[in-house]
Amino acid sequence: MCCSAQLTEKDLAPQAMNPAYLDAIKGMRFFDPHIHMTSRTTDDYQAMADAGVVAIIEPAFWLGQPRTGVDTFRDYYSSLVGWERFRSSQFGIKHYCTIGLNSKEANNEKLSEQVMEILPLFLYKEGVVGIGEIGFDDQTALEEKYYRAQLQLAMDGGLPVQVHTPHRDKKQGTQRSMDIAIEMGLDPYMVIVDHNNEETVKEVLDRGFWAAFTIYPFTKMGNERMVEIVKQYGTARIMVNSAADWGISDPLAVPKTAALMLERGISKADVEQVTYRNAITAFAQSGQINEADFERTQDIDQSLKYNGSTILRGGQQPAPDKRSTIIR
Amino acid sequence: MGYAYDEQTTAALLRQIISRHISEKAAQWVQDRLTAWQQQQALSVFNMAFAAAPRFIGREPVTATIAESPVLPVDLEGYTADRLFRIWWLLQLPVDDKKKYIEIIENLFNTAEMNELVALYGALPLLAFPEAWQLRTAEGIRSNIGGVLEAIMLHNPYPAANLDQPAWNQLVIKAFFTEKPVHLIAGLDRRANPELARILLDYSHERRAAGRPVHPMLWRLVGPFLEEMGLEDIERLWLSEYNAEREAAALACHASGYGPARELLEKRPELKAEIEAGQLTWETVAHRVNMAN
Repeated sequence: MCCSAQLTEKDLAPQAMNPAYLDAIKGMRFFDPHIHMTSRTTDDYQAMADAGVVAIIEPAFWLGQPRTGVDTFRDYYSSLVGWERFRSSQFGIKHYCTIGLNSKEANNEKLSEQVMEILPLFLYKEGVVGIGEIGFDDQTALEEKYYRAQLQLAMDGGLPVQVHTPHRDKKQGTQRSMDIAIEMGLDPYMVIVDHNNEETVKEVLDRGFWAAFTIYPFTKMGNERMVEIVKQYGTARIMVNSAADWGISDPLAVPKTAALMLERGISKADVEQVTYRNAITAFAQSGQINEADFERTQDIDQSLKYNGSTILRGGQQPAPDKRSTIIR
Repeated sequence: MGYAYDEQTTAALLRQIISRHISEKAAQWVQDRLTAWQQQQALSVFNMAFAAAPRFIGREPVTATIAESPVLPVDLEGYTADRLFRIWWLLQLPVDDKKKYIEIIENLFNTAEMNELVALYGALPLLAFPEAWQLRTAEGIRSNIGGVLEAIMLHNPYPAANLDQPAWNQLVIKAFFTEKPVHLIAGLDRRANPELARILLDYSHERRAAGRPVHPMLWRLVGPFLEEMGLEDIERLWLSEYNAEREAAALACHASGYGPARELLEKRPELKAEIEAGQLTWETVAHRVNMAN
């Protein structure tokens, strides 16, 4: 015998697919207003759908390395309203996006000028719920120039703005982002200030902006801290997102945080506010969010059968059994 | 002249249908956009109206009347108000400068979101300079977005009329691969060809080897070119437990001029009679497939 331990039936049973937290949030619906699905796999989509995520917003962002030409920006924007939206719909998740020139790449002035020229082509597309994510990274003069230019586009089009706040010198960067928006005459209620923490939240809320929190391991918020924030500040104008991207991040951050909030005594109604309702209220100011569409995206028509095997229609993806060694 | 049909009559008809399905406010928006475009001829006005249409027009399903349908160059099955507006809007482009016209349309394709792509590909039979969109159509067939493929493949007369054989064959093969209702492809029988028959026959062998079902509509395109090579497959199909497959075998043999295939059909006089009476057609098979039989 090779093995000293005795195998029992329990060891041989397939591992449970559903972690305990899924039970706590069963039947709840979630809206993740910041997630970069372009960088994620179909496994993530499936897990998100299973956890109750019904709709998401994918902000245009930095892809991890700088782009060298305007054509790759164009193709990226067009993939956000095209291919990625389709991919998402295959899992019953309604996909929206915000379009913008991110702060890092705003530092390439020659390219930024070209990008600014093509932005209006995308801002009025269906399902574009705002301008984003824009704001400061290093807080350079060029970043400010294109932040202002894009705030102007948002005002012209009556569109919400999704503001990225910097990792470094965060508090000051956040303040400056808000100062500029107010100076330019934007209604703070149209501006979602993202990646908040304990240090920035009070001022953001006091000044009438929306405060978004990114639950992202190691570098941004943890969800235990998020629970405390909601306990302290309530639910008005607060929303939670995952900002999951090409880094070590968690596309289930929103449902997991909801489960933790429930476990730690926050009411279901309050949890719903910060993980679903508030994000819809904020971004629906674009006129582009219709909750009835969430149901439609989920309406999976599997009626077409041939020779006993179901043929999936409307591009819906069949879900393979991930536990099985067999792949068919 | 750029158009291969009377585009003014069509444009008037489309506008009439659009007006029936949108609110007064939306109709005003349409009129305002048209006036702005005619007066300024600014491309930004044109592009913006094309992109923003759903925001102002909505997406109510539209229908043509019995009198209108036969006169239209497109089938409005599944059309919504915004999509109809978009194809009508394309007809507002001047065609006096071919190069510019093509540039504008290609730019719409290159920046399109999904519903815009669906509108654009569906509008192919209405565009001026029909010969100019062959590569674009072939590119569209490479898409993996279901709605886009359907806009090109189903009820769309452009591909059959304009694609060369390799591109046409790709379209049909892709339709099978992506499980589209193949019988709704316009010009399916007219563009059948021996090369396509060979590719589909190979494809059926692959499916069989993998233990996956073969779509019975495939035999519609093999039938007219049946010879020794496909005969064994058809013989097997005759013995299928599924009605749709036995009927497909009969129809394929009926379309064939190959002796042994004709003989096979003689063995089932009742099926042959049904085919000759027009009771058994490929529509019957398509219907069965959709009805899960």
